Amino acid sequence: MIKEEIKKALQNANLAGALTRFSEAYAVSRRKAYEGLDFEEIRDKIATLKAYVAENLNEIIDTFIKSAKKNGAKVFYTNKPDEIRKYIIELAKKNNVKSIVKSKSMATEEIHLNKYLKEEGIEVNETDLGEWIIQLAGQRPSHMVLPAIHLTRYDVSEVFTKKVEPIEPDISKMVKFARKHLRRKFLAAEMGITGANIAVAETGTLLIFTNEGNARLTMALPKIHVAVVGVEKLVAKFEDIFPIIRALPRSATAQLITSYISFVNKPYTHFDGSQKEFHIILFDNNRSAMAKDPIFKQTFQCIRCASCLNVCPVFRLIGGHVFGKVYTGGIGTILTAWTEGLKASKDIQGLCIQCGNCLKVCPGKIDIPGLILEIRKRLSKEEGLNFKTKAIYSIVNNRKLFHSILKAVSKLQKPFEREGFIRHLPLFLSDLTEDRSLPAISDIPFRDRFKEIKQQKFDKKVIFFAGCLIDFAYPEIGEALVKILNSAGIEVLFPEEQTCCGAPARYSGVMDVAANNAKQNIEALFPYEADYVISACPTCTVALKKQFTKDLQEQNFNEELIKKAEALSKKVKDASELINELIKEEKIKFKSTSPQSFTYHDPCHLIRSLGIYIQPRESLISAGLQLTEMFESDTCCGMGGSYSLKFPEISKTILKRKLENIKKTEVKLVCTDCPGCVMQIRGGVDKEGLSLQVKHSLEILAERLKEG
Amino acid sequence: MFELFKQKAEAINAEVHYFNSKSEAIDFIKDFIAKNTQVTSTKEVVWHDSPFLDGVDKDSLLKEIPQIEFNIDQNSASSAKIGINEVDYGIAETGSIVEISDSIFKRLCSILPEIHIAILPLNRIEQTLEEVMKKIPISKIPYMTIISGPSRTADIERVLTIGVHGPERLLILAVNNF
Repeated sequence: MIKEEIKKALQNANLAGALTRFSEAYAVSRRKAYEGLDFEEIRDKIATLKAYVAENLNEIIDTFIKSAKKNGAKVFYTNKPDEIRKYIIELAKKNNVKSIVKSKSMATEEIHLNKYLKEEGIEVNETDLGEWIIQLAGQRPSHMVLPAIHLTRYDVSEVFTKKVEPIEPDISKMVKFARKHLRRKFLAAEMGITGANIAVAETGTLLIFTNEGNARLTMALPKIHVAVVGVEKLVAKFEDIFPIIRALPRSATAQLITSYISFVNKPYTHFDGSQKEFHIILFDNNRSAMAKDPIFKQTFQCIRCASCLNVCPVFRLIGGHVFGKVYTGGIGTILTAWTEGLKASKDIQGLCIQCGNCLKVCPGKIDIPGLILEIRKRLSKEEGLNFKTKAIYSIVNNRKLFHSILKAVSKLQKPFEREGFIRHLPLFLSDLTEDRSLPAISDIPFRDRFKEIKQQKFDKKVIFFAGCLIDFAYPEIGEALVKILNSAGIEVLFPEEQTCCGAPARYSGVMDVAANNAKQNIEALFPYEADYVISACPTCTVALKKQFTKDLQEQNFNEELIKKAEALSKKVKDASELINELIKEEKIKFKSTSPQSFTYHDPCHLIRSLGIYIQPRESLISAGLQLTEMFESDTCCGMGGSYSLKFPEISKTILKRKLENIKKTEVKLVCTDCPGCVMQIRGGVDKEGLSLQVKHSLEILAERLKEG
Repeated sequence: MFELFKQKAEAINAEVHYFNSKSEAIDFIKDFIAKNTQVTSTKEVVWHDSPFLDGVDKDSLLKEIPQIEFNIDQNSASSAKIGINEVDYGIAETGSIVEISDSIFKRLCSILPEIHIAILPLNRIEQTLEEVMKKIPISKIPYMTIISGPSRTADIERVLTIGVHGPERLLILAVNNF
C-alpha cells in the first residue's frame, strides 16, 4: 500500500516541485537566520533542558499543575485520548457551545477531536490559513509547518469557490477573503482551542507562537479558552524559554522571530464583564512511557520545528501524505511509533534512507536516524522479519556460501551484461535497472586478484577491509589502494576470512545477523599485526570503527570478543583520511599532469558519521585536479545500501536530482569515496548516456602517482 | 539602541516613527487618522487609555477627531479600522514590542483592527529579550505578547502575504520625554 502512495506522490509534480523549491531555499535562509548565533551552543542548551524534563517528568508535571492552578487555570491531566474528548465535549455542552475556533493544535489531531465534536453537532473551524484550506478541502496536512504546501493558488481558489464563495486565484485577495470569513467565525465562537509551544512548570505559563495572529484571536474572543498541551512541551524553569525562542522560528521558517509570541498566565475578566474560563489539558498519550525508555527519551528534546522534514532528501520528494499519519517525516515516524504504537510505524520507518542530514540541523540534537533504526530493531524483534528477507540476511552470515553465490552470479549475469554493466533485469527485478544500470559482478574478485599483486615487504603494514562492493564489483578500487600505499612504503594485508560488514542487516534492524558479521570479521582481522585497519567504503569504516563493539554488546557476546572489537576499532581509518595524511607528510607524491576539473560528491557516512570532507578534496587538488563544487554536494545520492532495492522509485528520483546538480557544473569527472555512491551515480550516468566519468578518488590518485 | 530597534523592526515590515514629545506624537496621530479614515463616518478608531493620555484633554481631542472611540468593547474594536494602545517594552535585537495586558481591551486594539498604532516610551527599549524579561514580573501578569511586525502568512504557495488575521500595518511611535 505504501508503494502505491509513494508512486502517487512522486507523480504529483506540484508537490515535489513545491517541497523541493522550499527545501532548497530553506537551507540557505536557515543558515542566514542563524548568522551571528552559535547554533551548537543553543542546541546543547535545548537538548540539556529538555532531557531534564524527560528525566524528571512526573515532578515537572506536578509543578506545572500546581503553578497553573495557582494562576487560576483549570488543569486536567490524562493519558487517555477518550478522556480528553469527553472533557471538552462536556465542557462545551455545559456552556451551550455551538461553535469552536481552533488554532493549530497537533495534539488534538492526534485524538481526532474535530470528528468527535462534529458528531456532537458542534461546528469546528481551523483558523490557521493553511489548516483552514486543508479542512475545507477535506484533506490532510502535507507538512507539519506548511500544511497546504502541495496546493497551488488555483487549487485553493477552487476549494474556496466550492466550499465558501467564488474567489479568483489571487493570493493576496484570497488571504483577505480568509480574514473576512474567519473573522465572523472568531466573533461567533463560544470556545477557542489552542495548543502551546512551551509550557513553563515554574510559572504555569503557556507560550504560543504564530505569524497570522489567529491564536491571539482564538484566545481573546471566545469566553472559554482550552489549551491542549502535550507533556513534552514542558520546561522546568522560565529561563528555559530563551534558547527555544531563539531556535524555533529560525529552524521552522528561517525567521528571526515569529510575528506573535503570546504568554498566557491567568484568566482575566472577559469583555462582557464575566470571568473568563481557562482550561489546560495536559496530554500524555504514551509520552511518559517514552520518557522512561532509555533510548527514546530523547524524543522529548523535540521542539516541533519540522526542520528534519525540510532537509530530508526523501520527504522533499514524497511529502507528508505518504505517511498517512498526523506526524510526518523523520520525527513524525518516531512520534507515530509511540502515540499510535510500534506497528503503526511499520511501513513508514522504512522510508528513512539513514543519510543523517537531519542530525546536523535538529535544534534538539535528536539522533533521528538512530531512533528510526531502533524502531527497525524492535520491529524485527517483535514481528520477526518475513521469511524471505531473513533468509537473504542469513546467507550473508555464511561467508563461503555468500561468496560462492556471488561468484556464481558473475557467470549467470552474462546474458544481461555489457561493458561491465547490467542494464536490464528480467521480470520483477526490472525496477532495479529501470533508471540505473547495476555493476556487473566482477569475473575475478579482489580477494583473488590480491594474490597476484607482487608487493615489497615493508615494516609498516595496514590491514585492508574491502567490503562486498570493492571485493566483488569494483576490485580495481582495491588495486588502486594497494598501489598508492605501496608507493608510500606501506604493505597491504588482506585477511581472506573477512566478509560483509553487516550493514545491510544492521540498517534493516536485523541485529543478530549484523552482530554475527561483526564477530566473523573481528576473528578474521584480529590475528594480523598492522598499524591500521583501512577501508575505502565509509559504510564499512563506520561499521568497523563504531558499530561492531556496540552490536556485540547489544547481542551479549563474550567480553573477550568485545575487547578485541574495541582494540580493533582504535586502529580503523578511512582510506581517504590516511592517504591525505601521507600526502601531507610527502610520502605520497604525484607526477605533474595536465590540469583536469572535477566535482566531488560527499558520501553520507563519510561526511556525517566520520566528519571527513576536506581531506578527499585536498588530496585530489594536490594530485593536480581543479575542484568545481556542485550544489548540495553533501545530499544523499539515493543509494542508501539496500534502500535502493526497497524503494527503487524514491532512490532513482533522488539520483536524478544528483545527476542534475552534477550536470550543472559542466565538469566531466565526478569523484567520491564510497563504492556504493560510485555504483549509484555511475549507474545513473550510464542509463542517461552522459559523457561523464564517475570514479572513486583512489582510482584517480593511483593514476597520477609519481613513478619510482 | 533606537537605531538598531528601528532597523530590525522595519526589516520585518513595521513602520517606526520617532517623536521628541507627546504633542508631536499626538499631532502625527491626528494627521494619520485624518488621512486614513472618513471624517463623516462613525467610530473608526479605538484608543485604549494609558499614561500617554494623562494630561491630554480627551474631550477636545474627540471634538477635533470624532472618529475616535475611547470606550472599547467587542463591537467597537471589531468594527474599527485603527487600534491605538501604549505598549510596554521594545526589544532592539529583533525590532519587537512587548504588550502586557491586564485588560482585554488593551489587547483588542492590537488584534482586531487592520492598523495597529503602538505608542512606545523611548526609554523602554532594551537590547535583548532577556533584558526585557528581567523587568517583567511574569507571574503577576495575566497575558503578554511579543509583537514583531504585522500579521503574516506564507501558506499559499509560500508567498509572503502581510495581514491575515491580525493587523496588516503596525506603526510604532517611539516617544521621548513623557
